[in-house]
Amino acid sequence: MTTIREEMWKFKGILFNFAISDLKIRYKNSILGIFWSLIEPLLMLGVLFFVFSTMFKFEIENFPIYLLLGIICYNFFKNGTTFALNSLTNRSSLMTQIYFPRSIPGISSGVTAAIMLILELVVLGIFMIVLEFTPPITILILPLILALEFLLILGISLPLSVLNVKFKDTEFIWMVVVHAGFFLTPIFYQFDMLPDNIQSILQFSPVVQIVTMAHHVVLYGVLPSINSILYAVGSTSVIMIIGYLIFRKYQSRIVEEI
Amino acid sequence: MNDYAISVKNVSKKFTLHHEKRDSIFESATSLFQKKRHSETLQALDNVSFNVKHGEIFGIIGRNGGGKTTLLRIISKIYSPDSGSVDVKGTIIPVLALGLGFHPELTAVTNIFQSSILLGFKKEEISKRVEDIIKFAELEKFADTKIKNFSAGMQMRLAFATSVLVDPDVLILDEVFAVGDLNFQKKCFDTIMSFKKRGKAIIFVSHDMTPIKNFCDTVMFLKDGKVGNIGSPEESVSTYVDYLSTQK
Repeated sequence: MTTIREEMWKFKGILFNFAISDLKIRYKNSILGIFWSLIEPLLMLGVLFFVFSTMFKFEIENFPIYLLLGIICYNFFKNGTTFALNSLTNRSSLMTQIYFPRSIPGISSGVTAAIMLILELVVLGIFMIVLEFTPPITILILPLILALEFLLILGISLPLSVLNVKFKDTEFIWMVVVHAGFFLTPIFYQFDMLPDNIQSILQFSPVVQIVTMAHHVVLYGVLPSINSILYAVGSTSVIMIIGYLIFRKYQSRIVEEI
Repeated sequence: MNDYAISVKNVSKKFTLHHEKRDSIFESATSLFQKKRHSETLQALDNVSFNVKHGEIFGIIGRNGGGKTTLLRIISKIYSPDSGSVDVKGTIIPVLALGLGFHPELTAVTNIFQSSILLGFKKEEISKRVEDIIKFAELEKFADTKIKNFSAGMQMRLAFATSVLVDPDVLILDEVFAVGDLNFQKKCFDTIMSFKKRGKAIIFVSHDMTPIKNFCDTVMFLKDGKVGNIGSPEESVSTYVDYLSTQK
């Protein structure tokens, strides 16, 4: 782990350069392009709000903010990991010509997703102002929760970036996981609405815990429970360790496979 | 202690060729129930050793698939050798084939920044040099054009200009003169000569024997991954030509 941190520091120029150029490529160098990234979560918000407030009559306090916060947290996870999938293959010509640590593209995908997250949080702020919602003081803990989510993203991105070079169907499998995860995460429902036995399985998902904690601190002014913190930190650590081991196993010969 | 710019000792590299490569998780899982498939190994480099002095132009010749590109990639740390060691003093600029890892969707200027940052330069240093790079590459009109719209010659010029103006200690040139026009070729040769005068090492790979004979101080002939000959250009080129005639 320490080597990765050192590499990140030594190559931080490249890291941010990659992250910014990824954003530029994604949005075709246009300023308007950045707004396209916001359309997707807002559209999602509109659809989910319509379905669950008019058809199913869910009664969750401040439902629009509850929904948007969940979508934003999940989007961060989805963007970070899916950008990482092709981060190495997209740079194959660079990889075969200049040496740089293989971890850089995977990490920079996480940074790209983090930049998009900040934009989406601005939109969330605008929603709060428009809906005249004053967040409780516990919202100050949100950055910590998102930082934990960033670590989780790194723990998944690094192995995904090398596995997708080695096994071309990693991408499809991961997309299924991400889609399923959206419905298994309390984004448009509350966690305690689920049956007990399902709760006891899903509590191991770090994303579930992160989204739940975010809801707690932003909407209800409740500090995350010790249980949530333990599960979230524990599962993230396990994922990071396994992810790092997978990454280390494949990274040295990965250029030959590209 | 030695004063070599590059010293390569007993480097070997093997590749595994899968006749039917399993490259999906699905295939790997199903193959547990199938017969073993064939794969064979290719010894791309076999016990290669050589040294390049400061201020030396070192040519490498050999057939396609003879291990030239693999060797260059090992020198620039892109591949790791199976055994042996490579010692390079100073910064190294690989110019392997066309484009210095240029991204087709980014403009010429953005690409210069990206490559130079990768080569270890700070943003401010690059900003000072960008104009010179564009001017050297004769691409003033196309500075903000995306690389995907560049011709092969334009890409090569940009790559060459970027690599020489960041002033590396070791320059690797792989078939760079195939695409530039005569005017630019002359400019390249002049630059290479000035590099040589300043004591920098240059590795030069080409299939064109004229520049090899005219410019190189020492030439190595790679014969199917082994060192065929290291010596004066005339000697190595004639060994290579003899070898080719026996191959028919």
